Amino acid sequence: MPTWLKLALVAVTLCVWSVATAAERVHIVIPAGPGGGLDGTAREAGRVLVELGQVERMSFENVSGGGGGRAMAYFLENAGRFDAPLLVNSTPLLVRSLQGVFPYGHRDLTPVAALVADYGVFVVRADDARADWDAVLGSLGTNPRAVTVGGGSTRGSLDHIVLAMALRAADIDPLGVRYLPYDGGGKAMLALLGGEVDLLSTGLGETMAYIEAGEVRALAVTSAHRIPAIAEVPTLTELGHSLVFANWRGLFGPPDMPAAVLEEHLRRLDAMRDSSAWQAVLERRGWDGLDTTGDDFAAFLDAQEAELREIMEALGFVQSRPER
Amino acid sequence: MGAWEGIATGLATAFNPANLLWVVAGCLAGTFIGMMPGLGPITAIALMIPVSYSLDPAAGLIMMAGVYYGAVFGGSTSSILINAPGVASTVATSFDGYPMARRGQAGRALALAAHASFAGGTIGAVALLVFAPALAALAKEFQSPEYALMLVFALSSIAAFADRGQVLRSLAAALVGLMLGTVGTDQSAGVQRFTFGRLDLTDGLSFVLVAMATFALAEAFRMVLAGNGDAPTPRVAHARLHPGDPKAIAPTVARSSVLGFLVGVLPGAGATLASFFSYEFQKRFRRRDGVDDARGVAAPEAANNAACTGSFVPLLTLGIPGSGTTAVLLGVMLSYGVQPGPRLLEVEPAMFWGVIVSMYIGNLVLLALNLPLIPHLSRIIHLRRRVLVPFVIAFSLLGVYLTSLNAFDIHLMLGFALAGVVLRLAGFPLAPLLLGFILSGMLEDNLRRTMLLADGSLAFFLDRPVSLGLTALCVLVWLAPLRRLTAKARKPDRSTA
Repeated sequence: MPTWLKLALVAVTLCVWSVATAAERVHIVIPAGPGGGLDGTAREAGRVLVELGQVERMSFENVSGGGGGRAMAYFLENAGRFDAPLLVNSTPLLVRSLQGVFPYGHRDLTPVAALVADYGVFVVRADDARADWDAVLGSLGTNPRAVTVGGGSTRGSLDHIVLAMALRAADIDPLGVRYLPYDGGGKAMLALLGGEVDLLSTGLGETMAYIEAGEVRALAVTSAHRIPAIAEVPTLTELGHSLVFANWRGLFGPPDMPAAVLEEHLRRLDAMRDSSAWQAVLERRGWDGLDTTGDDFAAFLDAQEAELREIMEALGFVQSRPER
Repeated sequence: MGAWEGIATGLATAFNPANLLWVVAGCLAGTFIGMMPGLGPITAIALMIPVSYSLDPAAGLIMMAGVYYGAVFGGSTSSILINAPGVASTVATSFDGYPMARRGQAGRALALAAHASFAGGTIGAVALLVFAPALAALAKEFQSPEYALMLVFALSSIAAFADRGQVLRSLAAALVGLMLGTVGTDQSAGVQRFTFGRLDLTDGLSFVLVAMATFALAEAFRMVLAGNGDAPTPRVAHARLHPGDPKAIAPTVARSSVLGFLVGVLPGAGATLASFFSYEFQKRFRRRDGVDDARGVAAPEAANNAACTGSFVPLLTLGIPGSGTTAVLLGVMLSYGVQPGPRLLEVEPAMFWGVIVSMYIGNLVLLALNLPLIPHLSRIIHLRRRVLVPFVIAFSLLGVYLTSLNAFDIHLMLGFALAGVVLRLAGFPLAPLLLGFILSGMLEDNLRRTMLLADGSLAFFLDRPVSLGLTALCVLVWLAPLRRLTAKARKPDRSTA
């Protein structure tokens, strides 16, 4: 075989290979650095999909910065370059879009599916004298400064908003209560353990280990039903406050995603949800699985946005005027 | 103590042949990535995450820990050779290390850094093994008022120990640094500050960007402006340690390691503050040791490696990441379904002790890897300027771009570098600027929390034992320049950094 023929063969093989692989590749853009919850959700889902043979190849791209805004801009601009592009996102998408941190929102995307949920939880030190959530509300009702609350993110972001919702559900003015922001849930937990704050408003996922170890005591969760791993902790609804709040993580497609592609994604995700591999992931990570997809997911997002807008206006984090 | 049984389990885990291999692999990857200008432990760990997914939890953590302290170990290289600290904790190493390299003692400076890092890492690992559970309590004692005061102390010492005639300039530079730190989202109120509506600025300026611009790039531009021919740095026959060095630096290294470990246990800028405090302590309070660059390199290097080991205390015993790097490590642990925290010791004793024991092996591996490389690495400094300057510029730009993958950062960095050159020509030291920038966010957050807690009262300075001690230290530091006014001529010894 002459050399040119060999080279031509190699070239043809490479072309065929690259076309073939490109067609099978699902690409997920992650609006955060490696190692966090969003990154974990995308990579675990991708791994299970590949293991099940639903997808031949997955690729991931971390685009951090701008509170998620850079990833959004990047995704909208470059979605055409990939065959099956997806963006993973979570509740702070709605919060930041309402705050006007970036000029995009969930309506600029095609909601595909919510995958997992984390819930808000209120915890105190194990030796705190206040026995339950009502006791905390009692202290706050008589003197709003009596209980100092800590959270893992800035004022006006999720930990603070969930606290404000819970307080309003009990007719306590959230603006009168002292909220101290920490740089991450870990440091907020340290402040609780060290006695700098009395109550922590945080995500259940990152708090579970401390609750199980008996270092802290959970007073209430914002889920609709009790969480099996901490079955002794009541929900806010059970305590007579009508508040259910889930911090979802889910997948989105580009705005012009064809219906056939969406169908294909939903079929794959159904297979993933039914697999024992995905159940094992949920178990291992302590996540709660969600199965809201397509239009239901879009409706859920609209409802949650309205809920968030209402509380954020009350707190003064969104001006109650028409959208810019 | 009851730890002996655990340590035996740890030995078995760490000496498992596969795990030995992963320690070596982790250290190798970490130290090489750490040597690159602009790439620090956080990039090294992020790059190795895909590898860690394929390992079992103990092996994965042993490897990732190796990547972390390997990167800290290698991080001094670019600080010393081209004045480009890739991570905040090696800024102090460049103060004396880079001038040493310019004088042709690059090999000696690198060897000093390697030995001090080894000693710091090993002393840290011993302390971790013996005191880990007990020290968790220390991390809880330090709260917002203490952090705020510790940061005030750090910033005060910048000005107080500046060279003669430089006090006001240092103060001004530190203030500019503090102001640069306010760009981005206000942590306490969630409001955007100085972002000019740009998404690129909402997360603030990155450390790598400011460090590369004000240190490496500004230095490269200065070399170009200084002109005076294309002469390479003279070769001096100091490729290795001086015969007297080990004995001379031993007390410094011991002191700095203990200090570094203790400060490293505190979540926050542990390693940075540790290296900076050790350097200042060495240079200013221990004057009778003589003003000696060798100790100025050894002190921060021993401290930052000990602090890196110390940062595993809150991570492993409380599940609390003290820095961006340990936060990524925490993510890796969670992906294994391992929840670090109070129960880790009961649930996974083999992993807990295995990781700690593997650090001894890792430090030996790192010393063995780094020492033979020194003669080759130190040649970089002897390159002609027309080769060296483009090399420095290319690597600093690459380092910044690889951290954020955002071209906007490159423009910003060039602007900062030009401003840095102007400031240097006007006689302003840039080290206080960088330190002010690093400490700015922490100072603001802690001070504002303290104020919220105290309802605006300043009494917190005095009403807690640890804060009272720190306040006293600050007052002492403020009085230091006054004493100097009365004392007669002692030659200024601080080289420009």
